[in-house]
Amino acid sequence: MFTNQQINLDILPSIDDVALKPISKQYLMIIVINRWVFYALIVSALMVAKLKIVHEGFQLAFWYLFSACALFCILNFVVALLAFNKRKYAIREQDVIFSKGLLVNSISVIPISRIQHIEISRSWLARRFNLATLKIFTAGESGIDLRIAGLNYSEAKQINDFLSNRVNGID
Amino acid sequence: MESIDFSQPARQSSKGILVIFALNTFKFIRRYFVLFLALGLSLSKSESASFLSTTSLILIALGVFVLIFVLAILKYLNFKFHLDNDQFYLSSGIINKDMTIIPKSKIQNIHIKQNFIQQIINVVSLTIETAGDDKAEIEINALSHSVALNLKKQLFISRPISDNGLGDEPVQSALFFKASMKRLLLEGISENHIKSFLIIVSFVFGLYNEFENYLQDLGISDHFQTSVNIETGSILNLLLANVFIVVFAILGSMLFSVINTFISNFNLEVIENDNTIEINKGLFNKLSLILVPVKIQNIIIKTNRLKQYFGLHTLSIKQAMVNKKQQKNFKIVALEKHQVMHLVQKVFTRYADVDSYEKPEFYYIRLLTFRSILVGAFVNVLAFFIFGNYFWLIYIIIIPWIVLFVHFTYKKASYQITDEYLTVNTGFIDRVRNISELKKIQSVQIKQSIFQKRNEIASIHIATASDKVKILCVTDQNAKAILDYLLFKVESQDRD
Repeated sequence: MFTNQQINLDILPSIDDVALKPISKQYLMIIVINRWVFYALIVSALMVAKLKIVHEGFQLAFWYLFSACALFCILNFVVALLAFNKRKYAIREQDVIFSKGLLVNSISVIPISRIQHIEISRSWLARRFNLATLKIFTAGESGIDLRIAGLNYSEAKQINDFLSNRVNGID
Repeated sequence: MESIDFSQPARQSSKGILVIFALNTFKFIRRYFVLFLALGLSLSKSESASFLSTTSLILIALGVFVLIFVLAILKYLNFKFHLDNDQFYLSSGIINKDMTIIPKSKIQNIHIKQNFIQQIINVVSLTIETAGDDKAEIEINALSHSVALNLKKQLFISRPISDNGLGDEPVQSALFFKASMKRLLLEGISENHIKSFLIIVSFVFGLYNEFENYLQDLGISDHFQTSVNIETGSILNLLLANVFIVVFAILGSMLFSVINTFISNFNLEVIENDNTIEINKGLFNKLSLILVPVKIQNIIIKTNRLKQYFGLHTLSIKQAMVNKKQQKNFKIVALEKHQVMHLVQKVFTRYADVDSYEKPEFYYIRLLTFRSILVGAFVNVLAFFIFGNYFWLIYIIIIPWIVLFVHFTYKKASYQITDEYLTVNTGFIDRVRNISELKKIQSVQIKQSIFQKRNEIASIHIATASDKVKILCVTDQNAKAILDYLLFKVESQDRD
């Protein structure tokens, strides 16, 4: 039978009521390692430049350049650390939610019925920490695709199975 | 129209050899044009190349053409297609054999096109597009017009209908809209000329970069330099020269816009079929596009102040996964307002043109001002390096520009969410209206910067399979309510 009840907009399930779950604490280690490798690359590039370039102006400006880079690295590192606590996710009956970002915070929601495919990827470093990244794709190139990094491998597999079953219509 | 049997593997019309040959020759020349030119110029200078007499050059050119021609014949011989009840088969390839199979139900679009050569030898090309790939998947280069129409018809007939024997009934079709010359001319004139100007400028710069060395050799720049030096004699002359350049640029851009509009929209026709819309247009490249309303994701209606005055609206239609070049063709220009509404309602049957829009919060003005000042500051720095101490002169342009930009962009920004449709209005010079269906939304995102958080402002990004729509600067609370509502709409429909 066809019904067309009016919907009370106030009793719709709200995004505010969702308890978002933080990702694995160990992922912080991966972030730290990645950052330090990145900073090390910058500093070594600077050092190589100092040794190789004999131009006088460059030698004068070197310490300014170096301190600018150091400042950038420190700020970047602090922001990365603070932003870690903002990485949170949740799975609801009908959708997947992922929230991230300190300077620009975003909450992305993908309805399960719109998922095209799911991917679990694990980098070398992530395998050491027994972590995994879950990628969720929707149709179309302009789509907002989710990339939840730093899940426990077993949990990622669990979510993957649950979502795959839902997408394929097996409840 | 009697239906033709496509069940046996068949080749295209033998005129196809000519079309393939012409296409490949064109591609070959376009790809190596610069190389030829460079080669020719360097050869003409060096003495060592004197063994290359005119006859041997002609022989080489002939050899290349014969090679391309043989390849075209082989390509033609190996290109076969056929059709059964629910799939289209195509085998192609000279050395590597490819077999492409497309289920009829997965076909997104079928285009019939006719380029210049095809017009001369009176054949058309047929392109079949599916949602899967970025580029058109299959192109049959040469079919007679009636065969192409027949094939198109058979590809669009789905099985259940043909089983009931309904497929043979004539399709109701009526010419809905035909753009007159006058309207196309007006459309061209009221186009955004800045765009044309930029295209011309980038083209000229591209050419200049390509041939910089040769131009220098010819001594043109020296010549130019001296002629400028003479003119700098009096300020009046300089001023006149500048005015002349500006007028020339405006006229040139205008002419370019008008010609461009004419060529791509010549003889624009919109034909309404039972459940599809057909677009025919083009002067050199004749295009025929079929739109299936179910597969349409977004509709964008564009107009500006001047165009509104003339009653000109442009309707662009976006489908999932259609490549950028093709996307440009799903565009109907020079429509009246009621015609736009009619087409929109053909696609989105329950769309009602209700005039109650929500405005973004006042914070949007702050955001726009901040952004444009940032751009202004950047231009300022550039100007300082170019004009030196007279850099403040550009404030005469920048400040009014910022004021106008902020004012009009805020004025034109609004949104509307109804039971089934989402409408977002944006634009600075243009007035752009983007309509999408709620049930085709793919994902929703709330974005909030650290400054917006303090003011309890957030933005919403809504993605469909073909486009991303943004509602900028609404209150925190509103953003969450909209998100909840949109998700509810998307997630509840599948249960029906």
